[in-house]
Amino acid sequence: MAAASQLTADADMRRIRVSGAWDLRSGDPFQVPALPEGAWAEAVLDGSGLTGLDTSGAYVLLQRLKAVGIDPATLRYEGFDARQLGVLRLVTERWPQALAPARRGARGLFYRLGFGAEQAAAHLRGLLAFLGRFTLEAFRLLARPRRFRVREWVVQLQAVFVDAIPLVIAMIFLLGVVFAYLLGFQARQYGANIFVVDGVALAVCRELSPVIVAILVAGRSGAAMTAQLGTMKVTEEIDAIAVQGLSPFDVLVTPRILALLLALPLLVFVGDVAGLLGGMFTIRGQLDIGYTLFYDRLNSVLTMDTFLVGLVKAPVFALFIGLIGCRMGLGVARDARAVGFATTSTVVQSIVSVILLDALFAILQVRMGI
Amino acid sequence: MDAHSAVPVIEVRDLVTRLGGATIHDGVSFAVPAGKVVALIGGSGSGKSVLLKVIIGLLRPTAGVVRLFGEEVWTLAEDDLNRLRQRVGMLFQDGALFSSLTVAQNVMAPLEEHSSLARDERMEVARLKIALADLPASAADKLPNELSGGMRKRAALARALALDPELLFLDEPTSGLDPIAARAFDRLVRSLCDNLGISVFLVTHDLDTLLNICDEVVVLGQGRLLGQGTLAEIRRIDDAWIREYFAARSALEV
Repeated sequence: MAAASQLTADADMRRIRVSGAWDLRSGDPFQVPALPEGAWAEAVLDGSGLTGLDTSGAYVLLQRLKAVGIDPATLRYEGFDARQLGVLRLVTERWPQALAPARRGARGLFYRLGFGAEQAAAHLRGLLAFLGRFTLEAFRLLARPRRFRVREWVVQLQAVFVDAIPLVIAMIFLLGVVFAYLLGFQARQYGANIFVVDGVALAVCRELSPVIVAILVAGRSGAAMTAQLGTMKVTEEIDAIAVQGLSPFDVLVTPRILALLLALPLLVFVGDVAGLLGGMFTIRGQLDIGYTLFYDRLNSVLTMDTFLVGLVKAPVFALFIGLIGCRMGLGVARDARAVGFATTSTVVQSIVSVILLDALFAILQVRMGI
Repeated sequence: MDAHSAVPVIEVRDLVTRLGGATIHDGVSFAVPAGKVVALIGGSGSGKSVLLKVIIGLLRPTAGVVRLFGEEVWTLAEDDLNRLRQRVGMLFQDGALFSSLTVAQNVMAPLEEHSSLARDERMEVARLKIALADLPASAADKLPNELSGGMRKRAALARALALDPELLFLDEPTSGLDPIAARAFDRLVRSLCDNLGISVFLVTHDLDTLLNICDEVVVLGQGRLLGQGTLAEIRRIDDAWIREYFAARSALEV
């Protein structure tokens, strides 16, 4: 039933026939070839052969007519039904609006590079401002401790610390196993079996446990904070808190960051223990160093300094993870896509800052000779 | 197309819907003739939104028949239902524009799925639809969150028009708009209906929309059909809710 869309003209250039299906559902008006150039001023448009016309068809038809200099406003229409005339009228009327050029320029390499750099700088500035705000709020809290939201803090502590314990134990235990195994493999060749204990103890307590736990918490809790605060922002819950005369910072941000500040050192300690246990089991199986010998060696190698160096990093990591997570959540624009972007950005920023801070600590420790 | 004009675009017969034990519709029957703007009104909780979902095939009714263009929606195979849906456009209450796509990409999305147009041609059609919805061309490259509420509704309307539907569903088209924007939107819907021959079925609370653009009104109350007819006919129905509904505007002549 659907004849192909056609546009034909009589030889004397007086009559243009539109026929077939000029709608996207049954035809393809975009394939209709252009009319030949000529003097069409007197022409009549004959639509008696049309089997369908939609707005896209009308659009193409008008385009073909304009291409040969025919003005649709002065053209005589014959054989169209009322609906088809309506479609033509509306499309003629709105057509100029569709054509107005409004393209954004293509985004080249330099644009993206500049945009990325500007964004990174903006994040850094924003983070510093947020750190300042948090410090200020922390001092205010010291002055009036009753404003502290104990319940929210406990809830957050549960989510950030208690719920993360099994994960941390599993991860760092396995890392201890792998590290001890690889180290033992090498040390055995030199008969330096006992030094594997030194290696495992230093690696786990100084680097592995603090950094890996911080990365786990950034991915787990930092992302959750951004997603939760971001969704609250989208649903205007944060505005509702502010309107009730409460500070969203007091209610939401401070308890979260303080929970992280306590949770991360505790988790690092849990990680220390788990990693050492993992190393201990592996060393006994692989190198025949018994638990007692392991313990004796550990006692002389793992000084309080080493242990504390690892633990001291944790609250610093925690502060930045919390600041980034909360700042990105509160800064979300009001749509679903923005929450996803902000959450991704939180994880990336947190992990990058954990590694940067860790490098900074390493340099400091070398300078201080620890 | 004109041969179908005699067949009502929507036909609902003896519809019963129960959700979680509650009876939402208890034997609702009505028909919407082609080429008309028909409004569905009713108090909160009278089952308007559920009825809309049942008609467009998103929610299966407990009993009864729903026909679109004479085809029974709930006995069609998935493929046939999707083909039927291409003849129907839906404007959701909050627009439901895809937030990660620009307005033009939103309009192009259905074209990509259901037409064989090349990319440039799709872009041209999208720009035309955006113009038909009376949006400036500069809106095409914007993201939905960069638009005002009124513009977002128009962008959603442009997407609903993408496949040149024969029937348009509007869910509270003027909610959240100021009166001026709301009346402009009414005029736009009416002009689309008149010029393109689109039938429109809309759910609304807005009395002005009823007065300005609707040919017929369908009234739901307590899960039943209270009446169907022109606004003047509806006002004569003796029902507490209808009396109260129009009381606010009793000074106005219909």
